[in-house]
Amino acid sequence: MRKVNRDLAHLSDEALVLLAARSEQHALGELYDRYGRTAYGLALRILRDEALAEDAVQEAFLGVWRTAARFVPERGKASTWILTLVHRRAVDIVRREQRRRTDTLDDTTEASGGSVDEEAWLRLQRERVQHALRQLPDQQREALELAYYGGFTQSELAERLGQPLGTIKSRMFAGLSRLRELLGDPGMEMAWSPGTSTS
Amino acid sequence: MEPRNLHELTAAYALDALDASDVEAYEAHLAQCEQCRADLAELNETASALAWAPDAPSPPARLRAAILDAAAAERSNVVPVPMRRRWLPAVAAVAAAAAVALAVWNVDLQGSQRSAIGAVLVVRGGHATLTVSGLSRAPKGKVYEAWVIPHGVSPRPAGLFDGKMVRLTTAVPPKAQVAVTLEHAGGARAPTSRVLVSAQA
Repeated sequence: MRKVNRDLAHLSDEALVLLAARSEQHALGELYDRYGRTAYGLALRILRDEALAEDAVQEAFLGVWRTAARFVPERGKASTWILTLVHRRAVDIVRREQRRRTDTLDDTTEASGGSVDEEAWLRLQRERVQHALRQLPDQQREALELAYYGGFTQSELAERLGQPLGTIKSRMFAGLSRLRELLGDPGMEMAWSPGTSTS
Repeated sequence: MEPRNLHELTAAYALDALDASDVEAYEAHLAQCEQCRADLAELNETASALAWAPDAPSPPARLRAAILDAAAAERSNVVPVPMRRRWLPAVAAVAAAAAVALAVWNVDLQGSQRSAIGAVLVVRGGHATLTVSGLSRAPKGKVYEAWVIPHGVSPRPAGLFDGKMVRLTTAVPPKAQVAVTLEHAGGARAPTSRVLVSAQA
């Protein structure tokens, strides 16, 4: 299974989604090999519970499987689509379970379990995004982190932070726009690097 | 709502931070507003970059298997190949809209041959082109032969080729299988070796 799967390694994410839409199970496996770990890390950050994080990731990837035929490459990258599905699922669960947390991002720690290449690549991505986040004004970063990792809605944030809703909206918009600029270096793609191996 | 506020809702939507009561209204607006769709595509990409910032421990190995098992249970993707010979089980089959079929097949070849094979079959008006990647060059005295196998019927020879691309000489009816075998130079009238690549129209 694993060996066969790696044979799809040369295909783009978007081609894999196309194949998943055609019921090619190995394509789904390859997408999981590329993004499953990041998906799990995100779900775990939001849910703080391993079993719930697994549920979120499983439901999100089954969402990929079910709706792959509706994926439109012109509207965005497959990785964005997949991680959006994971985030939405995790946020749905965290709201249902009343598990929201407000602590800020942990400092980078050494993750384990993957190949040296994979660890290095994931660490590079992690540090890049964390570095960009640190450059945001505090209030913008707070709004983004509480919304994205905490699962709070904008009106909940307004109440929690004692600010008008319009202020929260502005912080989210300004924060995300600024983050886009900070991450915008075209030399640093956020997609899967073909040279990275998970085997 | 003013345009500026809509922009700000786009950010909240990209962060999954809209209140439930706003989601429906925003999505209705999105369907009408090209600008917001373009903005959302950008902000979605940025928001999803945040997914990379947390520590990412490896999920348990069972998660991968659970996902693939559940996916397989939802959509069976193994197409039976009605042949007398002992064909390799289909790893995957693809049935697309009538005009275009596309398949990627992975089979393990015997001996030292590579195991990676991808095949793309494009069918237009019954005429088909098969493109294969990953097949090594045919050994001396041998040639790859394509076959069209209409449902429930014996394979029909569809052309000899070098293992890369072939315009099929036999029309591909709907639901037919297309297969590739390795044959003696000059080809055969019926397949004499196992299927290396198979795709379904």
